[in-house]
Amino acid sequence: MSLNGDEPVAGRHIATEAPPLELVGVRAAYAGIEVLHGIHLAVPEGEVVALLGANGAGKSTAVKVAAGLLRPTAGSVRVAGHDVTGVASHELARIGVCTIPEGRGIFPNLTVREHLWMATQATDRDLAVLEEAAYARFPRLGDRRGQLAGTLSGGEQQMLAMARALVTDPAVLLLDELSMGLAPIVVQQLYEIVAQVAAEGISILVVEQFAQAVLGIADRAAIMVNGEIARVGTPAELQSELSSAYLGG
Amino acid sequence: MNDRIERLKSDAAELNVGKGAGRDGLYQSLGAVAMAAGVVLAFVAYQLSLGKDDSRDIQSLQILALAMLALSIAGAAVFVRYSLARFLRFWLLRQLYEGQAHIDQVVEAIAGRAAGGVADGATGPAGTAGTGEREVGSTGELV
Repeated sequence: MSLNGDEPVAGRHIATEAPPLELVGVRAAYAGIEVLHGIHLAVPEGEVVALLGANGAGKSTAVKVAAGLLRPTAGSVRVAGHDVTGVASHELARIGVCTIPEGRGIFPNLTVREHLWMATQATDRDLAVLEEAAYARFPRLGDRRGQLAGTLSGGEQQMLAMARALVTDPAVLLLDELSMGLAPIVVQQLYEIVAQVAAEGISILVVEQFAQAVLGIADRAAIMVNGEIARVGTPAELQSELSSAYLGG
Repeated sequence: MNDRIERLKSDAAELNVGKGAGRDGLYQSLGAVAMAAGVVLAFVAYQLSLGKDDSRDIQSLQILALAMLALSIAGAAVFVRYSLARFLRFWLLRQLYEGQAHIDQVVEAIAGRAAGGVADGATGPAGTAGTGEREVGSTGELV
């Protein structure tokens, strides 16, 4: 299996198995203007794949396609080898492809506990069990379980968005701009948690404008330029090419 | 491959690919067609009934006209239901966005007052409202 259609993926993933998530030759457009020009991207089991690129490169559009929020004009989205192109986002979420959107998508007028309660509606697990797991992973949320989500700090809101996603028992997690508006120390803490989650076997696709924040934990990274994947490799391989991708050099 | 991936694989295989995303639009179109066709056909059937001499023909055509009116009403109901579903999704998103913006303003205002040394404002009604707590019962129900 490959990330860009040509290059084999090294590491934990076994090449003969279909990856949990794969975009194959995906093209997408807004109002007739094509913004993704046939991208190939695979997220192997239990790995963190970082999708990097400058503002407007098409990273968030790729996540929207993967999450079922935007139907591609060509190509396909595959989940565990099955073509799920055109399947609604809530159906994908139900089977375990979970998205944490840019801006976190929390409900400001619900408390932390109510967010988790809401997530239990998508599972048959008990709230108390899910709460225990969520607070064990995010102790700060436990301290603020009765607080309105809108009054949490940005980092705590992001933790809540992650906790809500994780209690649904996802197989694939799509993170869009996790670091947006957060202090570097908070971003570092969040990415440490992302690495722990991946170690538990969840496949993670992270879209990130600030490459350095995510390269420390990513197994693989892809650089997007103008709606195409320009380069795929390990973080070490890509370090030297990042500046040209962002600065257009 | 772990159990979760195996489950993902079987769940993905059971998805009704291609039926989910376009279904609302299809039903909305069918509703609109039924609504328009029902009205037209009812009018035509009624007009035809006016030109008949045999009372059985008149009755048949008027029954047909009523059936077409019923089709039109059913079509209108389907159209409204799927139009509303789409509209309400956008409405919910907008509510969410505006709620977030409003809370951000309140938090910013509270933080500003606290930073300005207005102790009463920081701990007064606005501050209380901003961090109001609600309880969820141990079994999961909202209290």
